[in-house]
Amino acid sequence: MSRLGLYAAALMALLSTTVHCQDSGGTHRAEGGRPTGMAMRGNVLWLADSPPARGDGPPRSGMGGMGGMGGMGGDRSGPPVKRLWLRAGADPQKSGFAREDTEATVDMTLVTPQGKPEGEPLPPAEEGKKNLSFEMPTQGYYRLYHTTRKLQGDTLAIAVAKAEVTNFSHGATEEERSVALTAPRVLEAAPIEIVREKNPGEKLSFQLKSGEEQAFVVLQKGLPLLGARVRFVSHDGWTKEAVSDEQGRVSFQIVRDYFPSWDDFQKRFKATYLVIAEASAAESGRFKDQPYTNVRYQATLGGTYYPSPDDYRSYAWGLGLGFAFLLFCGTAVYLYRRRRVKPFQEVRFDEKH
Amino acid sequence: MNASPTPEVPAFQRSRQARESEITLDHITDDFDGNPAAMQYFYDLFRRVFIQGEALPHEGKLIGTTCIQAPDELIYAVGATPVRLCNGSYHYDQIGADFMPAKSCALVKATLGMLHSATRIPKTARPDLIVNPTTCDQKKKSSAMIEGMGYAVYDLEMPNVKESEEARLYWQRSVRQFAHKLREVTGKKLTRQNLKKAIAKTSRAQAAFRQLHNFRKSSPAVILGKDVFLITNAFFFDDIDRWSDAVEKLNAELTQRQAEGFKAAQRKAPRILFTGSPPVFPNLKLPVLIEEAGGVVVADETCSANRMLYDMTAVDEWLVNDMVDSLADKYLKPCTCPIFARNDDRKRRLLDLVASFEADGVVYQALAGCQVYEMEQKSIAEALNAQGIPMLYVETDYSPDDQGQLSTRIEAFLESIKTRKRKAAA
Amino acid sequence: MRSIRDAVNQVHFNRFRFWFQLAAFVLFVYGGYLAIDLGSRLPFFSCGYNQEGRAGVCYLLPLQHQLGRPWPMLFTAAGLSILTGLGIFVLWFIFLNKGWCGFVCPLGTLQDWLTALRRGLGIRYAKYSHGQFKQMTKVKYVLLALTLLIPLGIGGGLWSHDLSPPFCLICPARMILPAFTGDFSQFTIDFSSKTAVVMTALGMMVTALFVVGSFVKKRFFCFICPMSALHYLFSKLALFRLKKDGDKCTRCGDCYRVCDLEIKEIADEVGKRDIMTDDCTLCLKCVASCPEEGALKATFAGITIFESTEAGFVRRMNKGHQP
Ligand code: SF4
Ligand code: SF4
Ligand code: SF4
Ligand code: SF4
Repeated sequence: MSRLGLYAAALMALLSTTVHCQDSGGTHRAEGGRPTGMAMRGNVLWLADSPPARGDGPPRSGMGGMGGMGGMGGDRSGPPVKRLWLRAGADPQKSGFAREDTEATVDMTLVTPQGKPEGEPLPPAEEGKKNLSFEMPTQGYYRLYHTTRKLQGDTLAIAVAKAEVTNFSHGATEEERSVALTAPRVLEAAPIEIVREKNPGEKLSFQLKSGEEQAFVVLQKGLPLLGARVRFVSHDGWTKEAVSDEQGRVSFQIVRDYFPSWDDFQKRFKATYLVIAEASAAESGRFKDQPYTNVRYQATLGGTYYPSPDDYRSYAWGLGLGFAFLLFCGTAVYLYRRRRVKPFQEVRFDEKH
Repeated sequence: MNASPTPEVPAFQRSRQARESEITLDHITDDFDGNPAAMQYFYDLFRRVFIQGEALPHEGKLIGTTCIQAPDELIYAVGATPVRLCNGSYHYDQIGADFMPAKSCALVKATLGMLHSATRIPKTARPDLIVNPTTCDQKKKSSAMIEGMGYAVYDLEMPNVKESEEARLYWQRSVRQFAHKLREVTGKKLTRQNLKKAIAKTSRAQAAFRQLHNFRKSSPAVILGKDVFLITNAFFFDDIDRWSDAVEKLNAELTQRQAEGFKAAQRKAPRILFTGSPPVFPNLKLPVLIEEAGGVVVADETCSANRMLYDMTAVDEWLVNDMVDSLADKYLKPCTCPIFARNDDRKRRLLDLVASFEADGVVYQALAGCQVYEMEQKSIAEALNAQGIPMLYVETDYSPDDQGQLSTRIEAFLESIKTRKRKAAA
Repeated sequence: MRSIRDAVNQVHFNRFRFWFQLAAFVLFVYGGYLAIDLGSRLPFFSCGYNQEGRAGVCYLLPLQHQLGRPWPMLFTAAGLSILTGLGIFVLWFIFLNKGWCGFVCPLGTLQDWLTALRRGLGIRYAKYSHGQFKQMTKVKYVLLALTLLIPLGIGGGLWSHDLSPPFCLICPARMILPAFTGDFSQFTIDFSSKTAVVMTALGMMVTALFVVGSFVKKRFFCFICPMSALHYLFSKLALFRLKKDGDKCTRCGDCYRVCDLEIKEIADEVGKRDIMTDDCTLCLKCVASCPEEGALKATFAGITIFESTEAGFVRRMNKGHQP
């Protein structure tokens, strides 16, 4: 068995080399959740759909998904409830719970498909619960914006942690779906935000796979932001940086960073990525009666991705086995028929003449 | 016809065989009014073949068959011509008595006698092969005797049970072997084309027969049973296409008759279903007696008529292998011959025929010495009586001696049916 | 009325069935492109893996998923949804009975096409011996039991999710039907776990076997199809039925002769009126090739819609006649 395991692992590696090589050029490992690529003061806040202690990994029967991930159960009575956790730290696996910062002001806005496009404040969390939760009664995209503002010297730091959750269950009518699908996914009032660009031909049940290309757009008050420094952090903490173009767009290849032994490999392994965009501007104003002359913007967006089927599915083997067996069966039938004619001296007729 | 009609041979006409045939044919044509015009073809045919001794032409090799179980289609496909050798002549019966014990079936004896004679009537060429399906014991044992007369004989192996899947496969294999044998004899292979055409040939004849058969459902009758027996007897030796033409013509005439409300028998004539040993010309004694006594034979379950032509071949894939197996199935599965271990199908068939032809009674002919029919008599009578259908069991042979006694019994039977009907109507 | 009836009874049945099956195949394999969606409780193999083209989903797929839920869930509203799903399936089913197999199922149609290909090449078909037949006909119940029990085991945590949905993993339709819309993604071996390797390899082997099998044996797969077994459980309720009048039957075996599933009872059984057996696909070929008036008939809610007639038989079997 172990030999087979080794063999298969080797095979998988072989099949995935392409994905690998393309990525290794521009990525490097972040240390202990402290990104080294860019000077970053303070912690990065982001919204995750799992609490830190549990880590990430195989799918849980939680409701809803992030980053274009659906997967609604839909059989429980009442609308599905989505829970999110605010976490601090730029490493998706190691970042812990965000600690409360008394100096900062916090706004939380929930935009639902059925609600106003400018969103509404999130209903307060239940006592003693760390997570932020909301119901998803209708089909579509739900977005939660967690905005903190804090003065650091003469700089105002504005950080927008955003989560986008999809809710597409089987029951919806065609019309409901198309309305939900075409609804805008941008908050005009957001000081900064990252929007995951939909891939061409993306379906409701979209899952991002490692090795794929994914674009993000950085917006400021609904308008593209040029020159924002955008960082992509993979599940294992690999990072890559890029600067947004005129359309506010940056694009990353989702790095493959899941290399367990064959026995532990899980094709439904849910990995979390994190995108962080930063920009500063020389804007002056007053915050809590204090003047500032600079504003530092930071936006985060979390999402999930899965191992690429190319990593574990093999056409060569599938077709090879299929053909081999086809030949085997065909020959067996042929030989059987030939043999059958003999012992009984069966008379068979020639169909040609 | 390639042989020009043989000029009349006075010596032959005076032969016992010819006289016997003439008497039967005269009864058939002269004792009844309103014979269909299209029947003339058959009357003439029998007169030419049996009385004038006209030679019958054939194409390719001539294959004699002694039973309806030998698949004609295979014979036609390889370009040969089948001829059914079962004989009904008392004259040949007496000759054949040399071969068989005294108490044996007249049909087998007559067939042997005919094959043994210098003048074989119907006058065909000497068969290149005689196919003898292994049916009843008497037929089985005649194989060696026929061979002894210098003919080539092929035993077509038949199973004794027909319901089981094993029997079916065994029979399919037999039929394939037979096709193989035919190839040896004729030097021709079965092909999709020739077999398909051969099947079409017989199914056309069968369709014509079925149409004729269905006309007999009408009441009052539009055609008499003696004519139908004559027609199906012609199928033994006549050219199949010409036979089909003649039957189709007759069907057209019957269509018209039916529309005109023609009565071939009285409205009240008891309707009789005929079963048992096959009436073979000239031994049409019993059906003729029934109709002369005022009954009408509306249907039959015999291997010289209905059973020979009724069941049609269904083919799923028109490939040689499937066609041959289909033929095999058609010859075995619906067969109600009493040589099989069980006779449920025969009972069901009779009951269905009684119902669909509104028969009032059944006449069961057993040729003396034909054990299988004799043995089945009791169970058939019980099955029919259970449904309230009267049955007359007649044991007879080819000799004309019992005519008087038979007609008394038949008249009494018909009378009892009439009485029943009157009572039922009252 | 009479003439309509005659026209129906004398129809060139195989031709009619070919076009009907073709239309159904196009509908269920490509209908999705026209946004046709007939739900996911269909009683035949309109494969759910044919994501783009399917016009509805084979019931075995959601059934296996539903049964694969964690056990506690089976006793809540989710359990109820299994029952409603089954209800909808039964409603679909009773409409055409096994006629879904004989006329609609894309996988059944494909087998018929492979048969036609073989016939065109002039290769004779294979048959089972009677003994083999009796063995084969049980396989589908075993497969059905596994199709239902394995998901329950998965839901109970006994086996890995890689085994789910068990039957779909070895169902040839999973590879073949998506291929018709250009999706070959199922023709792969999944190396993500041992179970997955085994199941996908099995799937590929069954697919190969399907191709060879249905090439030489008519309706090879239908003998062992668990859907067929599931059908039979509900066939008593069906509206569309195959009836036999034993009194009119001569046991000539013509119907048995043409039956793709080698159902001997169709010819030999003369006592039962409801003659459909568990293997039957209700293709009605037997009715079309029975020469006895009214011996076999197809009825819908008690009304005869197609029956055997002598004239129909003669018309259909006259292949060799020169026009
Ligand atoms: S794989 Fe087979 S059982 Fe599963 S959905 Fe497709 S057709 Fe149905
Ligand atoms: S039995 Fe055949 S036709 Fe019916 S669902 Fe199964 S594969 Fe399809
Ligand atoms: S084809 Fe008709 S008559 Fe012949 S066995 Fe079948 S049901 Fe009976
Ligand atoms: S019994 Fe008749 S309907 Fe059923 S599969 Fe056979 S031929 Fe088709």
